[in-house]
Amino acid sequence: MRRSWLLRRIVSSLIVLAVVLVLNFILFRIMPGDAVSTIIDPNFSPEAKARLRQLYGLDKPILQQFFIYIKQMLTFRFGLSFLSRRPVWDELISRLPSTMVLMSSSMILSAVLGIWLGIRAALNRGKFTERLVLRAGAVTSSFPSFFIQLVLLMLFARTFKIFPLRGSLSVPPPSGVIEVVADYVWHMALPVLSLTVMGFGGWALYVRNLMVRALGEDYVLMAKARGLSEHDVVYGHAFRTILPPILTILLMSVPGLVSGAVITESVFSLHGVGTFLLEAVSGNDYPSAGAAFYLLALITVTCNLLADIVYGVVDPRVRIEGHNE
Amino acid sequence: MKNFLKRRSVIAFIITCLLGMFAPMLMSGYPSDIVGAPFSRPIWWNTQLPASCEFNVTAEGVSFEWTKLPPAIFSLNGQVRAEAKKEVNIIWQTPQKKYLLSSLKGQNVYWINIDARDMVFKQSIGVPLIGNGAAHLFPCAGKYSLIIQNADTASLKLMLPGGRQELLGTDQRGRDVLWLLIYGIRTSLVIGIAATLIACLLGLGFGLAAGYIGGITDALVMRTVDVLLSIPTLPILMVLAGIWGKGLWQLVLILSIFSWMGTARSVRSMVLTVRESPWIESLKALGAKRSYILWRHLVPETAPIMLANIALGVPGAILSEAGLAFLGLSDPRLISWGRMLHEAHSFGAFTEGAWWLLLPPGIGIVAVCLIFMDMGRYLEEQIDPRLSGDKNA
Repeated sequence: MRRSWLLRRIVSSLIVLAVVLVLNFILFRIMPGDAVSTIIDPNFSPEAKARLRQLYGLDKPILQQFFIYIKQMLTFRFGLSFLSRRPVWDELISRLPSTMVLMSSSMILSAVLGIWLGIRAALNRGKFTERLVLRAGAVTSSFPSFFIQLVLLMLFARTFKIFPLRGSLSVPPPSGVIEVVADYVWHMALPVLSLTVMGFGGWALYVRNLMVRALGEDYVLMAKARGLSEHDVVYGHAFRTILPPILTILLMSVPGLVSGAVITESVFSLHGVGTFLLEAVSGNDYPSAGAAFYLLALITVTCNLLADIVYGVVDPRVRIEGHNE
Repeated sequence: MKNFLKRRSVIAFIITCLLGMFAPMLMSGYPSDIVGAPFSRPIWWNTQLPASCEFNVTAEGVSFEWTKLPPAIFSLNGQVRAEAKKEVNIIWQTPQKKYLLSSLKGQNVYWINIDARDMVFKQSIGVPLIGNGAAHLFPCAGKYSLIIQNADTASLKLMLPGGRQELLGTDQRGRDVLWLLIYGIRTSLVIGIAATLIACLLGLGFGLAAGYIGGITDALVMRTVDVLLSIPTLPILMVLAGIWGKGLWQLVLILSIFSWMGTARSVRSMVLTVRESPWIESLKALGAKRSYILWRHLVPETAPIMLANIALGVPGAILSEAGLAFLGLSDPRLISWGRMLHEAHSFGAFTEGAWWLLLPPGIGIVAVCLIFMDMGRYLEEQIDPRLSGDKNA
């Protein structure tokens, strides 16, 4: 029973990936002009043009190109970038850590802050704390991310000069491991903080709603009646029951974070996958754009799948219902 | 409905629409006109800086009092007529020193085009080549005059764009930010509303098809929805905008393709419940055609959902458009709030500390989004009164 449910989830994720792959292939081939018109100078001799086409595999029939492309994507060999003439994969792998650090640290920080505030709000229902948390969350999450970040950048990097204006490391980078790490943290502080500020509102609202419901359950009353301390009641009983949805939401928030990371990297000029995608898209560098998009889609799909699996593991009802559907 | 029209967000929406429609007609010139020096401050901010001024200079010359800091630009252009054998001298008299701006001989008509940013000009009058030339021509407060010697007639224009300009200052090209802001309303509203309308129509169509026909159509539509929902939105929008071009209608199309899924889901679930209801059964028993049931009963039934969906979808579309434009993936000629933020970010608003380039478009985006969100919530509450009761639960 359980295996078939897992299989279905994996198959549907694979379908999404397949669609992404096909889209990626079609999109970059139906565009106006030629895929290599950006790198082929009209003044090239016909032989040189033919050699370039051969180099990029564009002289083969379209179906064969498709299979070669699928094979490349599955083995992460994305070919050469049009702009830098370097392998796309090397470029991507050098930028991946920065994006991952940005996404994971802001995700964890906003989740922790939001969950804590959400619990506070649920415990102080109808009081000032609750209203403050909910209002603050609603306001911060309804602003466009790049606007808040630009304002923060203007305030803290330009007016007060606390944080750097751009980049993920100083130029030239400082010597010594500790200095480099400190410099990196200093550069990442504002991006991560701004993403946290914008992300905690949704968490707070969600956790508060779950907690309010959980605190009204009989077993919480029972726990209180047994004379447990408030801390034990809240974190040992009520909070434990809302963990499964929280875990799922944590993973489900990744697609939004991907979009957020792209914008954030562009605002703060960080060296990440998002800026890579932007540079590739605006520079008509199709192999790089396709690869970056594929990678971001892969991250999203994987996290969605993980969310489903985690939810199924911690909450058996999902598996059974999923099977009966 | 009466309450709806009295709501503040609705009034604000109507005002915004009217502004977007008519304000550009009332203003003279084009938003791309250059009205002052780059990065001029708003007129009410830092009054130590001079506002822009212009003098029409005739053969008698002109003289005026200057008490503020130097202007950003010093430029003089126009035409001077004189007898060919006389030497025409254009002299700039400051309280401290005289500058011979130009000395002309041998013609009847001279075209003057002097700009203090010009290196050759700076060299000819002997001021440092690096830095603001206008600052050297305005060393202190006092009386300044422009003297034209030996000219018969002159029609010159002395332009001194200051550090302050208009209500919201100017951007990096010297365009009026207020103008751009007002023009941006139109772009935001058109893109937001058009994209959402198309998306809602797509969603209605697919939702009806999935819910009413059922079977394989249903499965196909719902799997498509699932797939589209799990593709990361911004990256695919970026890729599409990069490939398909960046015009207004391309953006509308791209945005609508990726935002119909929510509507389709809610329409489908509504159709599923209504389909089994007794009155549809009795219509069927009376021999009503499928198309009749669809158009006369199911589509009107979805109207409230559609309205709320449209109102709640517009902020998303506006934000996506602003995001794309902010990343530079929009037509540079199309003035929009996102584009303004993009230009502020990439053309030196931060080194200038030009906050007036950031706040107006940003606040504009937020305000329009909040207006639509409030209207959408209200409509949603009307459809489902439980929502309003649930607010405090």
